[in-house]
Amino acid sequence: MTAILVADDDMDIRDLVAFKLEQAGYDVVAVDNGLAALTEATQNPPDLVVLDVMMPGMSGIDVCRQLRQDAGTKALPIILLTARAQEGDVEVGFGAGADDYIVKPFSPRELVSRVEAVLARMRT
Amino acid sequence: MTLAGAAIVALAVLLVAALVFGGLIVGGRTVRRAREARRAKLAKPARQLLLAIAAGDDDPDQVEALVRLSDEVWQAVEPNAIALLGKVRGEAHTTLVDVFERRGAAWRARSRLRRRDPVARAQAAEVLGNLGRKDALLPLCDLLGDPDPDVRVVAARSLGRIGDSGATQPLLATLASRRMVPQQVVATALTRLGPAAQGALLASLDDPRAPIRATAAEVLGLIGAAGATVRVESALRADPSIDVRISAARTLGRLGTRTALAPLLDSLEPDRPVVLRAEAAKALGELGAVTAASALTVLLSDIEYVVAHNAARSLLRLGGAGRAALTAAEHRAELEPDDQRVLLGAAHAREALAAAELEDLRQLAR
Repeated sequence: MTAILVADDDMDIRDLVAFKLEQAGYDVVAVDNGLAALTEATQNPPDLVVLDVMMPGMSGIDVCRQLRQDAGTKALPIILLTARAQEGDVEVGFGAGADDYIVKPFSPRELVSRVEAVLARMRT
Repeated sequence: MTLAGAAIVALAVLLVAALVFGGLIVGGRTVRRAREARRAKLAKPARQLLLAIAAGDDDPDQVEALVRLSDEVWQAVEPNAIALLGKVRGEAHTTLVDVFERRGAAWRARSRLRRRDPVARAQAAEVLGNLGRKDALLPLCDLLGDPDPDVRVVAARSLGRIGDSGATQPLLATLASRRMVPQQVVATALTRLGPAAQGALLASLDDPRAPIRATAAEVLGLIGAAGATVRVESALRADPSIDVRISAARTLGRLGTRTALAPLLDSLEPDRPVVLRAEAAKALGELGAVTAASALTVLLSDIEYVVAHNAARSLLRLGGAGRAALTAAEHRAELEPDDQRVLLGAAHAREALAAAELEDLRQLAR
């Protein structure tokens, strides 16, 4: 089963994303901070990571950069989930190595489609 | 009573007071935890229903089950429902709005807008905004003058979500009010109002208050109001406020119309304020007019770092012609090694080209 790591400090969003992805047939591990996401992704690399950008301590951008620097997680597909929609914010997200960028408020159905698209792109 | 006796009594009183105080704290925490545990227990089954609906399931039975929850259970799960309402869109949002409306949430929220507790007022404003209630326009505009700054911010955001252009003037007016709302919050809310706000924004460029004119100029760019170009150009040329002129320069870059080239080039003149010249140099890159390449190349040797730096980055944004100009500026240093201005221009060109190369390499390494 395809494994997805979800990191978001907002419990409602974390549970919603996990719920929707599990409903779509994915195996989901959810954590509530950047450091836990980095540890989990390094120790048990998933098939894809969904990261909230604004997390206390280590942000999603920081986690993304660190994952891209580690040989074991360098190629992990990463989707950033964020309330920051300015052009510059999107640039920073992609500059950090994200494969896709979803802005809140988001459509849960669209999230699943984006996950499928990124995974399909990685397989080809 | 002896002195020793008085001291013993005082100590005993202090001890009792400390015990009572400690007991109150522990008791208060215990009660709060018990309440929270009870709320979580009550909310648990309803939370699964809520997540299913927020995830986009429009199963009528699940919607009906959420609508028919007892008031006690709904109150327990309502904070989660409000949070999710503001963070999802599409069908999930529509279904959640339906649940809130059928539970009478809009009516309840309106009645809470005048509560003494600022948290209650802010939550009510947030619910009305997330429900997109156009009939809440006036009470939310009133809330822009709330004594609590957080309530004012929530009201401004909610007006943005509702998207009624009638909120344009009240939102702008808060910028000059004693009870103001931060400019970025106002600009974001106005941007959400979209093109319907264009008329009121244009009219606000004649407002006597500079913060209002500056924000109006900024938002016209953010909503892509190409029809406002001529008026924004005149603001760039003649507005007495430097903040307004800077916003106008940024907006002209965003709007990207060819007529903006002349006023932007004019703003680069050495007698203009440095911040304006820097913004105009940046805007020319946004504009993407290759004809600006020669003016930007001259700026590479500008003594003001931010002007030269922005000019170099703008040349990069012009594509092939801009890169060629940067390469030429870099090589000029070899021909004129004693000219400090040439060396300055070459250094800025080198920095921009190196940054571009770095970005290209990062893209390739990915």
